[in-house]
Amino acid sequence: MTKFIFDLDGTITKQETLPIISKHFGIQEEIDTLTKETIKGNVPFVESFIKRVFILGKLPINEVSNLLEKVELYPKVIKFISENKENCIIATGNLECWVEKLVAKIGCKCYCSDGLTEKNQVVKLTRILRKENIVLKFKTDGEKVVFIGDGNNDVEAMREADISIASGMTHFPANSVLSVADYLVLNEEALCRQLNQLL
Amino acid sequence: MPAAKSVIISCAGIGSRLGLATTKALININGKSLIRHQLELFKDVEDIRIVVGYQANDVVDEVRKYREDVIFVYNHRYFETKTGASYYLGAKDGNEYAIEYDGDLLVHPDDIKTLLNQDGEWIAYADKMSDDAVYVKTDENGNVLAFSREQGDYEWTGPCCIKKDKLKYSSGHVFNQLEPYLPIKGIKVRACDIDTYDDYQRALEFIKGW
Repeated sequence: MTKFIFDLDGTITKQETLPIISKHFGIQEEIDTLTKETIKGNVPFVESFIKRVFILGKLPINEVSNLLEKVELYPKVIKFISENKENCIIATGNLECWVEKLVAKIGCKCYCSDGLTEKNQVVKLTRILRKENIVLKFKTDGEKVVFIGDGNNDVEAMREADISIASGMTHFPANSVLSVADYLVLNEEALCRQLNQLL
Repeated sequence: MPAAKSVIISCAGIGSRLGLATTKALININGKSLIRHQLELFKDVEDIRIVVGYQANDVVDEVRKYREDVIFVYNHRYFETKTGASYYLGAKDGNEYAIEYDGDLLVHPDDIKTLLNQDGEWIAYADKMSDDAVYVKTDENGNVLAFSREQGDYEWTGPCCIKKDKLKYSSGHVFNQLEPYLPIKGIKVRACDIDTYDDYQRALEFIKGW
């Protein structure tokens, strides 16, 4: 069987979720500085993620979760997932408490990072999802794995996957992603055509 | 219903023999990039798969000006491999029949229409023209019997079409992928490929009459 593992931000969602949150809560400057330094390679991804959770963790969880539930999605990608629910998986670095409503709407299995919550806030990051581990888990089970992603935190998962598709639908993928990708697609028609060919 | 086809355009190479310091997809032919000419030829084909390698981002930027629904296929080992590897990589996850089209090739638009309407497997060839050619030997019905570096009835230009399952990862050329399955139906087309600077000059003249 073929398993399709999707990154969430910019691959299933039409917009990156982080800028939506930072804009809503008026913390763009803080988040933008961190994002820019991460993209430049000055802050390693895991360090950046920990810092990001430290900033966002103080925000009310229910408000973040309600906000992300309304993020616009790629309709053709959602259609593919709903038609192949058993074989589609989301792997996102986001904390479960932030994306659970959004993911419930999409309807397939999801692996996220975890945090300890108290009084509607994240007080401690307890686990950072390594997407490559999800790929390896399914490969160990004998599945053929297709990974679709666009960011630096997708690179190792794409390297391990049997087939990797770089998604350039929301923004052009990081060069590190392109250096391991088998395919690059720039819109939903191309992505869904390729996914259907791989069924 | 005819079997589903993919068109694989191989644009991964460095174009070293041409000497224009740019991958051949981006060279200017009568005011348009070569890849733009090719996208126009295949505008009615749904599954276009462009194999990229050298200057991949530049090729992607050029293609997306005209078409966004292309699937780009990476041949990361473009320096060590030839078009045979790109053909395999482009075809392996595509539709049942894989049409191979070299990124340095120009075929008359009417002949492309004829080729796209063919069923099954075929090989296209042209009158001899290039500096550095591979030739095809044909039988009295035009079927391709063999490829040769030395002599033949026509010049092997491509495109060609075979079932994707017959292709393997290889370090050879496209015609090496076809050789085990000969004879294959042959179709003569008006075509020129652009390997050298002289070919390039000839191509500019050649397509004026189209």
